[in-house]
Amino acid sequence: MRDGSPYAQELALFGTRARRIRLAAALAVLAALPFVATPFLLDLANQVLLACIGALALMLLTGFAGLISLGTAGLLAAGAYCVGVLVREVGAPFWITLPAAAVLGALLGLIFGLPSLRLRGLYLAISTLGLHFVVVYLGGEYEAREVLSTGVMIDSPSIGGFTLSSGRAWYFALLAFAALALLISVNLQRSRTGRAWRALRERDIVASALGIDVQRFKLMAFMVSATMTAVAGALFAYFRNFVSIDAFSLYLTVQYLAMIIIGGMGSIPGALLGAGFVILFPYAIEAIAAYLPERFSNMEFAIDYAAFGVVMILFLLLEPAGLMGIWQRLRNSFAARRAPAVLSRDRR
Amino acid sequence: MSLQLVANVVVLAAIYALVSTGYVLVYRVSRVLNLAHGELMMVGAYFLVSTAGLFSSNPILALVLAALCGLVMGVLVYVVLMRWMTGEAVLAAVLITIALGILLRGLSILIWTTQQFYPAAMFGWRNPPVHVAPGVQISAASLAIVCLTIVVYIGLFVFLQFTRWGVRMRAAGQSPLLAEQRGIRLHAVYAVAWGLSTFTASLAGMLLALDSGVESTMATIGLKAFPAALVGGLDSLLGAAIGALIVAAAEIAAIQYVNPLLSDVVPFLVLLIVLAIRPWGLFGSREQLDRV
Amino acid sequence: MRALSVLNFAATLAAASLLPLAGAKAQDAYTVGVTAAMTGPAAATQAPVIEMLRIYVDRLNARGGINGHRINLLIEDDQAEPSKAAANATKLIRQDNVMLMINSSLSSTYGPVIAESKRANVPLWFAGGVCPKETHPPKPDPLLFCSTGFDFGVDIPVAIHAIKEMAKEPVKLGLVGIPVPISRIGVDTAEKLAAQLGMATVDKEFIPPATADYTPFATKMMAGNPNWGYAYAPWPAEAKTFEALRRLGWTGNYLAYGHIQAEDELKRIADGGLQIFTANALFQDNLPVHKEIREVAAQGKYSFPATYASEGWITGRALEQILTKAGWPASADKVAAAMSTLNLDTQGVRGGPMVWTADNHFRTKQYYRFYRYDPGQKSVIQTRDWLAVDVVD
Repeated sequence: MRDGSPYAQELALFGTRARRIRLAAALAVLAALPFVATPFLLDLANQVLLACIGALALMLLTGFAGLISLGTAGLLAAGAYCVGVLVREVGAPFWITLPAAAVLGALLGLIFGLPSLRLRGLYLAISTLGLHFVVVYLGGEYEAREVLSTGVMIDSPSIGGFTLSSGRAWYFALLAFAALALLISVNLQRSRTGRAWRALRERDIVASALGIDVQRFKLMAFMVSATMTAVAGALFAYFRNFVSIDAFSLYLTVQYLAMIIIGGMGSIPGALLGAGFVILFPYAIEAIAAYLPERFSNMEFAIDYAAFGVVMILFLLLEPAGLMGIWQRLRNSFAARRAPAVLSRDRR
Repeated sequence: MSLQLVANVVVLAAIYALVSTGYVLVYRVSRVLNLAHGELMMVGAYFLVSTAGLFSSNPILALVLAALCGLVMGVLVYVVLMRWMTGEAVLAAVLITIALGILLRGLSILIWTTQQFYPAAMFGWRNPPVHVAPGVQISAASLAIVCLTIVVYIGLFVFLQFTRWGVRMRAAGQSPLLAEQRGIRLHAVYAVAWGLSTFTASLAGMLLALDSGVESTMATIGLKAFPAALVGGLDSLLGAAIGALIVAAAEIAAIQYVNPLLSDVVPFLVLLIVLAIRPWGLFGSREQLDRV
Repeated sequence: MRALSVLNFAATLAAASLLPLAGAKAQDAYTVGVTAAMTGPAAATQAPVIEMLRIYVDRLNARGGINGHRINLLIEDDQAEPSKAAANATKLIRQDNVMLMINSSLSSTYGPVIAESKRANVPLWFAGGVCPKETHPPKPDPLLFCSTGFDFGVDIPVAIHAIKEMAKEPVKLGLVGIPVPISRIGVDTAEKLAAQLGMATVDKEFIPPATADYTPFATKMMAGNPNWGYAYAPWPAEAKTFEALRRLGWTGNYLAYGHIQAEDELKRIADGGLQIFTANALFQDNLPVHKEIREVAAQGKYSFPATYASEGWITGRALEQILTKAGWPASADKVAAAMSTLNLDTQGVRGGPMVWTADNHFRTKQYYRFYRYDPGQKSVIQTRDWLAVDVVD
């Protein structure tokens, strides 16, 4: 494919000049952010970037391949504990622990994915739920056995003389990881694997009839997703400098599910939007809660839960296509007034 | 000693079985897995706290009132929320129940705070031990739970087999399309199913509250009862009872002979084993494996 | 026109970061940050402490504050979850510039909060949660302080010795805890100490919090036939295990630490065999200060029974003295200095004054009172007046 042919432009990620300009502008903004944001906002941005990785992983598994998994928190915990155990037991540096977390993730992905060969839908979700509790139990056992009253403390990763601990340094590191996750996701989506996954989601019997190796692609979906999630968990352990099993509750899984629903199922920008929304949501609620009577305003999490539940319900009832769906509708209401574009190249 | 163990298993199984009726009712009739069931049970228990506070001198009234509130709550949940999900993808319905559960957790803390409540004390009731056999003692409230569970099961069986509404519910569960064409109003049937589900959940919650108090993390017990429903088959009441016995036995055996700390995870280990061997449970309908 | 892409979202975020943030607080008040388990599993023990603290501070502010300035008490809920506590600490310290941090939550939250406080040189006060070792004499961490009544290093030896004293026959001990590291360590310590004193431990039970029925655990414990039980756990586990044991026909004696809910619970359970020991005097002692606490709680619309308020009351009074001593203008350093010279008259709620020095951010003497319910008098009675114990490490 030579540059300049219409297909090359389709296939390239940033084929058109317009896309490249927008990319440059966006990169400029992203690069400038840590220098203009307050420390608090920077921490928020870091949390969002970290969440993006997990959200993309879940989007690939559930949004694309249609395999429902309630195991996100368990996989995050596995990645985080991998780092915790290795650091604590052998003092391993990050360039060992991160790949180790990835390998552990792949292994767990295989285990979590095995039920998917026999079960579908609800029953698959239930099996991943069971696995979640098992992972959480194991983590709790480790913590208790090791006589840890404060979880596992982890030093910031360092290389040479440079230690990754400031908000800004983390921002760029997490931006790199998130960009990598994004790249992987986008490429998978456009590749043969992505198309196979989409076929799986629609009707796996038909997919099988078309010659797609259903079992292989199901397991691959689980493994890829779990690997990304475990790495996200490992990054979380380094970011917060500690690991403790209480952080990995079922509610965390629900939050990631909410990210891909609120963002818009099956859409990559949706995963990112959803991640941003779910992370920032509690802070918005807190700002509003300050106006409630004292007795309630201290029960931050109760208000958080209630509001989060309401928002999730509203999206599920009214806008199942999520934020991307809302955006599409807005777009269409504008587009209707223009000359119709026959083949919109800008569709992602 | 071992007779006492059997008694403990029966009590725990009764709790799980009573809670499981709710899962089974909703699933059997509308194919929705209600993951907010634990929270609904907890709210039922909190209803008792409120009515006990208002009518502490009239326990029967407080109990009946709380149970009725539980029933109404279920109908409301269907009418306001779940109704709109009828016919939608089942995954979306399940996710909405998860969201509902989260909403209820938040609301119950806001309304009732994080304090621990003891409705039995509010009535001035003690919870004395009852000798049910030589060397075997259980609390009065536990005995009540066992009796109530039996009554509820018999009642539900009679209801589903012999009453008109019961037959409608079974029909709707078997084939919604045919049922609708036959003139059965699905929305009404589903509303009744949800009402009954939260009614039994509230009864379970109230009895647990009388036995050992209510506080904001009680909903987790509802989640631990879920494997019991699954093991038996999500659409079989008999299965739920048997599943409850199996899970309770496994849990207590683990506490007694292996390691008490396993008690939290044993129900889910049982769940995983059953899913691996026979996903539709012991008595469930096999076709329930279809995709979402 | 192009769809809103992730890139544009990033631009929006950047733009938003340029907006002035509502959180910026003017420094004309004493800003104190609190991260506490206001909701979630530990809330039953921690929320009452902080709520009473808040009521106390509101009362102070209504009377003109301290040294003419208000106290700005910023309370953040952490649900006893370390990651949330970490986020709270980050926000309170870096964004709100608090001069004092208070942590009232489970010990699993301590690590990150300590790290953040030390990074910023802000004093950290543990009020209501278990006291970490770094606050103990002889060389406490300069920034860490603890006022909480209970401490497993001191509680457990006192309890075991008390059991030995009270027992009229050889002791067969049953120990109760929850699967949380501190409770496990406590129970194991108790077992070792009991063995040194010639008491055999027949069973140890660690009961997960969300247990529907405590009977199976009690059944297991009964198999060893203990005549004394000792529980080191949050109150619900302590009490429910006792009740389950009683229901199985157990007739032994039981000792447990009297947490916040203990007084009301003793009356509810109404069993003479359940003894508690506590660092805060129970309201049944009817001290003048108890009347005052009741009034303040009622005025502030305390959402818990007044008997839960002692720990919060002490925290409030200590805070008052600390900030008064710190003077104005205040800073984290001045507050830390003031804390190292705390000498608070506890008005009888504790057995003696609460004293912090440069060498001791915990206390030099710990005092306990023992209580149980008397079925004859139908009330809670004191079985032992203030027992003073030296805190040595």
